[in-house]
Amino acid sequence: MATMGVAAPTRTEVLQLYRSLLRVARQFCDYNIREYTKRRTIDGFRDNKKLTDPSLLSAAFFDGKTQLEVAKRQAIVYSLYASKVKSIMDIKPS
Amino acid sequence: MALRAAVLRHIQVPVQTLTATGSKPLPRWSLGASLRLFSSHDDHLTKEEVIDRVLDVVKSFPKVDPSKVTPDVHFQKDLGLDSLDNVEIVMALEEEFKLEIPDKEADNIDSCNLAIEYIYNHPMAG
Repeated sequence: MATMGVAAPTRTEVLQLYRSLLRVARQFCDYNIREYTKRRTIDGFRDNKKLTDPSLLSAAFFDGKTQLEVAKRQAIVYSLYASKVKSIMDIKPS
Repeated sequence: MALRAAVLRHIQVPVQTLTATGSKPLPRWSLGASLRLFSSHDDHLTKEEVIDRVLDVVKSFPKVDPSKVTPDVHFQKDLGLDSLDNVEIVMALEEEFKLEIPDKEADNIDSCNLAIEYIYNHPMAG
């Protein structure tokens, strides 16, 4: 999948991808999916933190980008069918 | 002197208070209501409030030891966090103050000091 010519992502690009994924997580209206997206990006990036092999790095980065596209689409789809009742976790104690 | 200027500005050209105070509309024309005695940005957060809220956000981060958090602590050097944690903290600050911090500036926010400065100087901090 990752061709030989693809350069490994730079540190800035990786952090930008991380930030984009966390931002897209905020757009979900459903509490559970939002928390899952945040948890999964944090865990995924942390697990791959120690990678040094360029081809593995590009593969992981490409994977992350694909997931970002999926999440963006799903945020829109979820908002079309949003529940009227807010999750109990979203209600701030007054 | 500044008080007199502020009073004059409000009496003479009340229409301009719309632009002077930015986003807040002023439909009231009575002198008492439009007179802002002590600051022209009283809907802006005070520095202490910004410091308190920023420190609260940093302290509630699970990997941080709350006793080490001071207003000039550096995230990576003093608190032992890494760049991923840095991004997470900046995101938490964005949520707390309802801001959208652009990537370039978020990359520069490395310590509590910089975070407090940035948020205090941001006109939309809520």
